[in-house]
Amino acid sequence: MTDSSLHDPPRSAAELDERQPQGQWPPSEEMLAEPVPSDIQEASKERLRAAWKTPTGIRYLSAVNNSVIGKWYSLTAFGFMLAAGVLALLMRVQLAVPENDFLSSDRFNQFFTMHGSAMMFLFAVPMFEAISILLLPAMLGSRDMPFPRLSAYGYWCFLIGGVFVLGSVLFDAAPSSGWFMYPPLATEDEGVGSDIWLLGLSFIEIASIAAAVELIVGVIKCRPPGMRINLMPLYGWYVLVVGGMILFAFPPLIAGDLLFELERSLNWPFFDPERGGDPLLWQHLFWIFGHPEVYIIFLPSIAIASMVVPTAAGRPIVGYSWIVLSAVGTGFISFGLWVHHMFTTGLPAISLGFFSAASEAVVIPTGVQIFAFIATLMVGRVTVILPTLWIAGAVAIFTAGGLTGVMVALAPFDWQVHDTYFIVAHLHYTLFGGMVFPIIGGIYYFYPFITKKKMSERLGRWSFWVTFIGFNVCFLPMHLTGLLGMPRRVWTYPGDLGWDWLNMISTVGSFVIAAGILIFAWDLLRPKGRQTLTERNPWNAGTLEWSHDVPTEAWGARSVPFVTSRYPLWDQPEIVERMDAGRFYLGDAPEGRRETLITSAVDAIPQLVVRVTGPAWCTLVAAAFTGGAFILPTFGIYGPAIVCGVLAIATVIWWLWTATAIIPDKVMKDVGLGLTLPTYVSGPKAPGWWAIFITMLGDATAFAGLIFGVFFFWTARPDFPPDGAAHASAALTTTAGVLLAGTWLSTWFARGLHRAGHVTIARALLIAAPIMASGGAASLIGAVWFPGLQPATHAYPAMMCALVVWSVAHILCGAIMQGYCLARSLAGRMLPEFDADLWNTTLYWHFQGVSGIVTSLMIGLVPRVM
Amino acid sequence: MKIGIALALTVVLASCEGRQSVLSPAGRDAEVLANLFWWMLGGAVVLWLFVNGLMLYFSRIRRKRHSLRVAQWFIFMCGVVLPTTVLAGLLIFALREMPQQREPGEGLTLRVTGESWWWRVEYWPDGADEPVTTANEIRLPAGSRSEIELAANGVIHSFWIPALGGKTDMIPGRVNRMSLEPTAPGTYRGQCAEFCGLSHAHMALEAVVMAPEEFERWLGAEARDARAPEGAEAKRGKQLFLSQGCGGCHTVRGTPATARVGPDLTHLGGRKSLAAGMLPMDRQSLVGWLSAPESIKPGVNMPGYDHLPPADLQALAAYLEGLT
Amino acid sequence: MVWPNRYSSLWHMIAAPVVWAVHFCAVYGGTALVCARMDAPGLARIGIAAASVVALGLIWWIGRRAWRQWDYASRANRTHGGPRAEDRREFLGHSAWLLAIVSAIGVIFVSLPALFIESCL
Repeated sequence: MTDSSLHDPPRSAAELDERQPQGQWPPSEEMLAEPVPSDIQEASKERLRAAWKTPTGIRYLSAVNNSVIGKWYSLTAFGFMLAAGVLALLMRVQLAVPENDFLSSDRFNQFFTMHGSAMMFLFAVPMFEAISILLLPAMLGSRDMPFPRLSAYGYWCFLIGGVFVLGSVLFDAAPSSGWFMYPPLATEDEGVGSDIWLLGLSFIEIASIAAAVELIVGVIKCRPPGMRINLMPLYGWYVLVVGGMILFAFPPLIAGDLLFELERSLNWPFFDPERGGDPLLWQHLFWIFGHPEVYIIFLPSIAIASMVVPTAAGRPIVGYSWIVLSAVGTGFISFGLWVHHMFTTGLPAISLGFFSAASEAVVIPTGVQIFAFIATLMVGRVTVILPTLWIAGAVAIFTAGGLTGVMVALAPFDWQVHDTYFIVAHLHYTLFGGMVFPIIGGIYYFYPFITKKKMSERLGRWSFWVTFIGFNVCFLPMHLTGLLGMPRRVWTYPGDLGWDWLNMISTVGSFVIAAGILIFAWDLLRPKGRQTLTERNPWNAGTLEWSHDVPTEAWGARSVPFVTSRYPLWDQPEIVERMDAGRFYLGDAPEGRRETLITSAVDAIPQLVVRVTGPAWCTLVAAAFTGGAFILPTFGIYGPAIVCGVLAIATVIWWLWTATAIIPDKVMKDVGLGLTLPTYVSGPKAPGWWAIFITMLGDATAFAGLIFGVFFFWTARPDFPPDGAAHASAALTTTAGVLLAGTWLSTWFARGLHRAGHVTIARALLIAAPIMASGGAASLIGAVWFPGLQPATHAYPAMMCALVVWSVAHILCGAIMQGYCLARSLAGRMLPEFDADLWNTTLYWHFQGVSGIVTSLMIGLVPRVM
Repeated sequence: MKIGIALALTVVLASCEGRQSVLSPAGRDAEVLANLFWWMLGGAVVLWLFVNGLMLYFSRIRRKRHSLRVAQWFIFMCGVVLPTTVLAGLLIFALREMPQQREPGEGLTLRVTGESWWWRVEYWPDGADEPVTTANEIRLPAGSRSEIELAANGVIHSFWIPALGGKTDMIPGRVNRMSLEPTAPGTYRGQCAEFCGLSHAHMALEAVVMAPEEFERWLGAEARDARAPEGAEAKRGKQLFLSQGCGGCHTVRGTPATARVGPDLTHLGGRKSLAAGMLPMDRQSLVGWLSAPESIKPGVNMPGYDHLPPADLQALAAYLEGLT
Repeated sequence: MVWPNRYSSLWHMIAAPVVWAVHFCAVYGGTALVCARMDAPGLARIGIAAASVVALGLIWWIGRRAWRQWDYASRANRTHGGPRAEDRREFLGHSAWLLAIVSAIGVIFVSLPALFIESCL
């Protein structure tokens, strides 16, 4: 991610000179000071308003703007949180007294499974995405997220998947093997519960990755001109880190899900020790996801705190680079902790030692973060506002959870408290302190920004104290309950072990928490129609989101500002006035299109003005069909599921065909302040290229998860591969490798030749490429088919076949992309100088070519060496 | 106020007692860890007060601003130097402790297998060719370290006796090992700590720590075949046991019942509890268990015998109770 | 003056934690392999020691370059919040330097087990 200067020398003769940004950069003070005539202001406002108008009536559902999607997203996640909270209360009723029979064992197991799954997958992670979609563009002075329709698609996937997974509780069909779904218990579970969990959540994981891709591109490419990486609001840093973490944490779980579902539906024995499998493989894949997940939840909330603390202290944050260190360091180290969830699985002590050490080391960046807040308070003059009360409560709770975390990170101590109520207490301290409290604080803080009304100070205090006291009454005693030996996930317990009174106290506390949350929910949702609008910047904050118009306008930033400070509203006194006047960039929408600026990754030099997609139904339709493709197989309905899958792909293709990489009417556009920017670029400057790059990083991680599986079996099982086992055909795997290399090179050459104007040769290559790709896929299938690898007999052939399944699906996807480019070229929608589709397809094949060749080696060569 | 705190402390400390408590250790490992916990708790309280005290102090009490330079030094000292030192100390302590708690045993080897939802227990004294099999109760000699092999049948379980030491998972397809060094004779309670399905809550076991000589005597007795029933009712119970097909799942050594699906019942009456730590070992519990095991342990594999007349159930119970 | 590319590179900023991550994977994977396939804890410990020395050397080198990039001595105000390219350069240097410190602590912590644990049990 390096930047070149504004005036790049063209890389090849074919790169047209006029496609470079031209004109004044950076803008001079005189240009900025020049007033905009009021009639022009009014006219451009009208045009912007028309372009960004949120659809009304039933068409409201087709909206894609970040402010609308963000609102739906966060309210849906909040609703799921309340539902999961109700499950917790019912469990607390069951545990209030010993030997209770309020809930049956099976019901209790369903409830705790769904409580954990919903809180993690339907509340904590989506809430981060929701809030970021809502706030990030405003903090970056940008109009919208780079891919609004992707946000909408992600939201609809989340809603459909969430309702499906959570709804299963009402039909007594919910998963009941715990949110961690350990096989063999979960793989051998007889109902549909495990399938609901797997398919429903895979679907939501995909939505999460989509959001992560969009947020990363948003932070890297959509910052306002001048906002160098050292001026970015800390929230942006956290989004960048968390997006990166999602990208590397979720895919191993998706790989695990694939293996799990293959075992469930086709009886391939990855986790069955009788047939060469190993239940521990799932635990590794799950926790490689599961531990970073904790930080994926925690970091965004601390990011909110890092926006509130400077406002409360009335001065810039102290130790900006320290906090960046903390975010990045935590992001890295959090991937070295996963085995601390497996300290009791009997791994060698020395291996446990590495993870114990990393688990202690991660405390350091987290501590830096907290002390940077305190340092800011030291240097500033603190005004106590309501959000700071919640943040202070969060720190109080989180530090307690962190300190017990230091204890359980010591492996021998964990051998005692692992899977007891001590851990239940610890994790709720970290999650309430590291997520719930900061988020509620953040809602009190940002509510005036979102609705232009204020929430009640009085209700806010009540809700804080009730929740805070209730929380400690509920969870503090649980430390002792656990030390007295009470394991987790027991639906009842005997009365003679000293656990009864502690549980009763916890149950009382849990209802007090519920009361506190209800007060908050009422304050959040009560109608505030008659209340007057707030002032524009009610907390006197310094960051760009508080420049938004009151009453609200759908365009986001009236004009995209030139930023020279971390706290522009404090340090650039005229900035709001100039934004309002449309003095800055993109103050008008002469073509009536939605547009936003793309800037360079590090120094935010303007590079491009892109058209942003508007309202559409295709996102909803695509999500519905995707939902069908994931949900129907749960009930064994495979035919319609395949139809849904095909229709989902078709809808996505239609959506891309009609709305992306459109050849613009004008190659260059005047964006204001004497700057002219290209309207179309392909390759590394284009946000779409970045989206593919980031997605493929995640995809490669999932593939790496499968490869990890092969080596895991090799170290863990003496019979991998079993003696005399049939291996994949060497000839066919070699053929596959060659064909895949061929299709990769054809695509790559096609891009170069196409750009140089040799359209016909490029088209011929694009015809040959998918044929070679299909041939490669067929060879891979043949390679395991002809020697007779029986995946249901042993984990070795199963693992080889899983690699083939993964690769074939990806190769076919790549072939569709090649065909798509060919069709675009034939339809005149892709020209040598407008070739983003071909760049993106080539990028896809860079990844897929490598992973296809690796697959060939993994099935053809590596087992013979093992 | 002082009396209040003292009272509260007494209550809390008294409540640390318990048969399944980490905080009332009866073994070398558990003792080390309990002490470690008290030290860490003390340190955690101090650090918590430090961090939150500073927050309160700087936001509410002291209104004078500090310089930026002081603040940056503060972040460095409190955020990097302090935690690195404290954590390194803790980590080194834990790393040195880990191998000690996994020392190989000094003679006796136990093999415990997690079943749904009970424990199969086999004793392999030094040099033995075949094990002494029992279930749902382990006995260990005090004062020496015993080796414990852990296996599982079906799903994952976790073997844990808090008063003696930490837990280790029992994983199908793997054999894990741990070792325990009990110090104080007594009866303690253990419980499965890894979620294992419907009756996860009902999978406990008794751990009896005995003086070494006493343990040897007990093991000798345990190795013998079952006692013949005494009295008419118990004799009739034995016939019922065999005719009702109980031997299809259970072993009572010295009788035709030799199946290994369910727990070995050879010395059932001599155990401290019934149904994996769920019920006291007495006639009434036996009758209740035989007639409706499902009501005590949801999902249990054993069928209920409530179709038998009460007199038959009593006779069966009498036989089983007599298997000491 | 022409600055090297790394002064404006996020990838260079995260070089030290990447070294930590590679070291972690190598140490964990290597130990798992050596313990499971050969049961040779001595070999594992030597390997860990060697990997740690290499990793610390690399981090030291990265940290020294970052320290220079940060240019500690040249400025009294170390907030790096200005709009100039120098501010960005110093900010990236400062962050990279801090990350090098944390990564070094991480590497040392992760190598401690080899010092105190002598078996594969």
